[in-house]
Amino acid sequence: MRIISQLMAIPGVIAAGEYAFRGDRYSYEGHLTPESARMASILCRSNTLSINMQTEIFGSFSEDCGCKPAQGWIVRGRAITVCVIGNIFCFLQNKEGLLNDVMTVMRAKVGDIEGDMMKYMYAKIGGDVNEKLY
Amino acid sequence: MASILGEHLSKARMGDLMSLDHLMQVPGALAAFQYSDKGDLTQHVIREGTELTPQVLDLLAHTCVANVAIATMEARGWEALTGQQGFEPVQGFSLVGLDWSAVVGGNCGVVLRNRDVDYEAAFAALSQCKA
Repeated sequence: MRIISQLMAIPGVIAAGEYAFRGDRYSYEGHLTPESARMASILCRSNTLSINMQTEIFGSFSEDCGCKPAQGWIVRGRAITVCVIGNIFCFLQNKEGLLNDVMTVMRAKVGDIEGDMMKYMYAKIGGDVNEKLY
Repeated sequence: MASILGEHLSKARMGDLMSLDHLMQVPGALAAFQYSDKGDLTQHVIREGTELTPQVLDLLAHTCVANVAIATMEARGWEALTGQQGFEPVQGFSLVGLDWSAVVGGNCGVVLRNRDVDYEAAFAALSQCKA
């Protein structure tokens, strides 16, 4: 299943999409008009490039700053949160637990979580993860 | 007079440090900081053994002030253009790096190790932070 469809399957996700770092191609699912999705793609790409530039500057202050390369960003609004990892964006409601779940899925698919995502999620509970899962 | 002023200042500073201590309780916290409206670092706590420095935190604070300002402009424009509400006022911002994420809200921020990160706990803690 594509990551956008996976994100849309999570209750509380309003829309999710993917944009190209170069050019104007994008795709999306959810409650956005095609024009809104186009604007969201441009906005998210622009902000992501800006964040990348900023982390490059951090790197000049500290060689091993732990921030490069940037994975993405989150804007927490009054009732809606926008998060971006890599070239994937997601609009979601501010519901308890939702942001962490969405970020875990996004980081596992396009970000820095390596290996089994379920192991990562269960690791937060503690104890023997392998025993709980398998 | 001087002692009253000193007591007042020490109480204010104590409050700041308590806020930072509260932020350092967020899972995976590597550093907590407060900053002025312009982004200048005013208070900070850094966990021992991390690569973070006050200089990086100061730059991070400036970056976050700039990003929150941009996000506010975008949120306002988005609501006006699309009619979709719920973005304003922007309550917080997070920069997600490779090893850590910086989460800011109000005039406070916390740096969290990505392995242990809990964004919602961080935003909740930041809403309590008094800078």
